[in-house]
Amino acid sequence: MSNNDNQNSESDLLRFISLSLAASLILFYFSTDGLADDFVSVAWMIPVFPIVSFVAILLFGHMDSRKGGSFALAGIGLSAVFSLAIAYDVLIQNSLHGEYVESTRTWFSGATYSFDFGTYVDALAALLLLVVGLVSYLVIVFSTSYMEEEGDRQVRYFAEISLFVGVMLGLVVANSFLLMFIFWELVGVCSYLLIGFWYEKPSAASAAKKAFLVTRVGDVFLLMGLVILYSTFGTLRYSELFDNPEDLAANATELKWATLCIFGGAVGKSAQFPLHVWLPDAMEGPTTVSALIHAATMVKAGVFLVARAYPLIVHSPDTAIYIAVTGGVTAFIAASMAMVMYDIKRVLAYSTISQLGYMFLALGTGAWAVWHAAENGIEDHAQGYTAGLFHLMNHAFFKALLFLGSGAVIHSVHTQDMREMGGLRKGMPITSAAMGLGVLSIAGVPFFSGFWSKDEILEAVHHNSEAEGIFGILWWLALLTAAMTAFYMTRLWMMTFSGPENRVVEEMVESKDHAETGNWELKSKTIKSHAHEAPLAMTAPLMILASLAVFSGFSLFLGEGFGSRVYYGHHADSESMIQWSILDHILTSSLTYLSVIVGLSGVTLGYLFYKRDSEGQTTFSPAFVESFAVTSYLHVFLSNRLYMSKFFDWFGMRTWDTVARACDWFDIYIIDGIVNGVASASQFFSSQVRKLNSGFTGHYASLTVGGLGALVVITRIIMPFMGWSL
Amino acid sequence: MIDPINFVVFSSILLLIGAYGVIRNKNAIVVLMSVEIMLTAANVNFIAFSSFYNDLSGQIVALFVTTIAAAEVAIGLAILLSLFKQRDTIELDLLNSLRW
Repeated sequence: MSNNDNQNSESDLLRFISLSLAASLILFYFSTDGLADDFVSVAWMIPVFPIVSFVAILLFGHMDSRKGGSFALAGIGLSAVFSLAIAYDVLIQNSLHGEYVESTRTWFSGATYSFDFGTYVDALAALLLLVVGLVSYLVIVFSTSYMEEEGDRQVRYFAEISLFVGVMLGLVVANSFLLMFIFWELVGVCSYLLIGFWYEKPSAASAAKKAFLVTRVGDVFLLMGLVILYSTFGTLRYSELFDNPEDLAANATELKWATLCIFGGAVGKSAQFPLHVWLPDAMEGPTTVSALIHAATMVKAGVFLVARAYPLIVHSPDTAIYIAVTGGVTAFIAASMAMVMYDIKRVLAYSTISQLGYMFLALGTGAWAVWHAAENGIEDHAQGYTAGLFHLMNHAFFKALLFLGSGAVIHSVHTQDMREMGGLRKGMPITSAAMGLGVLSIAGVPFFSGFWSKDEILEAVHHNSEAEGIFGILWWLALLTAAMTAFYMTRLWMMTFSGPENRVVEEMVESKDHAETGNWELKSKTIKSHAHEAPLAMTAPLMILASLAVFSGFSLFLGEGFGSRVYYGHHADSESMIQWSILDHILTSSLTYLSVIVGLSGVTLGYLFYKRDSEGQTTFSPAFVESFAVTSYLHVFLSNRLYMSKFFDWFGMRTWDTVARACDWFDIYIIDGIVNGVASASQFFSSQVRKLNSGFTGHYASLTVGGLGALVVITRIIMPFMGWSL
Repeated sequence: MIDPINFVVFSSILLLIGAYGVIRNKNAIVVLMSVEIMLTAANVNFIAFSSFYNDLSGQIVALFVTTIAAAEVAIGLAILLSLFKQRDTIELDLLNSLRW
């Protein structure tokens, strides 16, 4: 019966996918036929669709056979179609020619100010729309199958995820920093809700809180940056800010602080060092949510913000260098931690942090290059900008692929620990092949998408190092990171998929009398692979993403090339350099061969270390780690995630404890002291005064007479003497 | 005509004697008597100034004071009687239970 149900829902889903594909084809047909500008001018509808479906799911989700999934598919599908149409117009048809289209409506206005809302679409927004729309839609298709076991809770899931996608799309098309900030915060709220989807699990609840609070630290900086911008330039609209470069250049100091603060927001949102601690814990949510957060919505917002603020950042070289250094350092340390994690999702989480670091490195490098060129009057362009956004697109595809693939694996084996996996290759051929392609992409193996963008980034950084020494260090870091990335991704694939299907693992468990004696005993258990291939609704998105992960890199020189659409400043190569010369340049540069060697050696090492033998063991790696003191200590150090979380906890406990103690002291001795002091003083005074009430008539009489006498003395002697009068 | 200062001094002396009697005496009846002395001191003043200013109001007030003093003594003595019935004493030093 369940099988029948399954088939029903699958054919239902297929019908839905084919319908939306047909709709998108029709819209594409119209878009080539003179309606080109219309899609850009109705960009406001893109975030509206998912938000409407969010409301619809809340109201009617329970009636739906897929518990709201149909509404989410419809809303996000429409957004995806519109986003693809805009991306087609802007990125392929080049309808904007490097300009932007803005539409505004007044939101509220006062005597001296007015705020408006509207859309701002340029190549950057179009690229993000493409990525967010497409990846979100595929993730939603995947979720309809992945979340099926959740029953009625799917309503909540689909409602929250619709809102999540909607506000992210709103963030992309917003026309001012203020509107963007509103969507930015909404993205934070939605991520909180979704990470804590299984809120009855304490670890999920605390991970959600952690994500919310840590990103909030960044958001405070972002808000400060926006306040500085508004108080300096009197506007937060992109068009008004960006179109006055002289005005920007005249306020370099304010701009430096504003951009630093804005980058602070990006550090929080995109999980850069030192605010990266929330992202690995965010794995507590459903895997589809992780895929969405990592590939399309949450963390890409930070990169988008920096790319959006590029016209501001190019005026402050300090910020540019700071961005590049943060990116480079984050890429390196996150990759080093990814090498020792055993939780498959945590490896991917650290790899996301690392790849985001790459993007920031590229963006910072490009901004510095632009500033440097303008300062010295030389001909240069922001290669890093193009490279960073190119990497953003490629990363979105292969990271969504890897996360959805790991979701399919977890769905199948019900564990996240890679030590308990292995031998899944035969059981899950499509998933393992798709994930293999994703691994090759992110590892930078030639001709896969990650190779092109990583190479571009490395070249941009190397290009800068001729003028500024620090970029030389960053280049070495990035190169090392590339090797580590190849290593840990190969490790992930080998531990998950290679080896025999069934195997025996030994593990230390607490013996029965552990409570008294503290003994541990070695217990061996056989892991039987009952892995099965995921249903079509899960493998179809994987296959689409796999083909994108393989081929998206070629957009660099297909047509007029990626760089002729997404660029900052002037496009130097648009006429002199045809697309094939880019290829020629890449293939003949020694840097390319260096990064290829580095990437391949990482893959080889990963293969040698973690290829499971016929017993299912990875014999070489534990022996290697334990045989040297340095490596074993390093392993412990990295496994504890650089003790960063522990340090934050300790630091937080210490500072908070001190503050709390100080407040406690103040409360007890100052506040309570005043209250209690007044009370005890009046009590003491009254206890003395009541003694006048002695019960002896003579005392009362003498007091009366004495009081009369005193009055007489005061009014008749003292007052006339002092010259007072009543 | 006697100088009014003499009356004032005389009544002041009477008042102080009465006050001294009220403060110092332990016997409630003596205290009542001392109160009467103080009222008399006031009456002396009323009558002296009444004759000094040729105004009868003072003498009328003095009459009132005498009347009310009589009523007061009547009530006071009645209280003292019932007090003596209950406590077997009218020593004021022993009647000090209404205190802090």
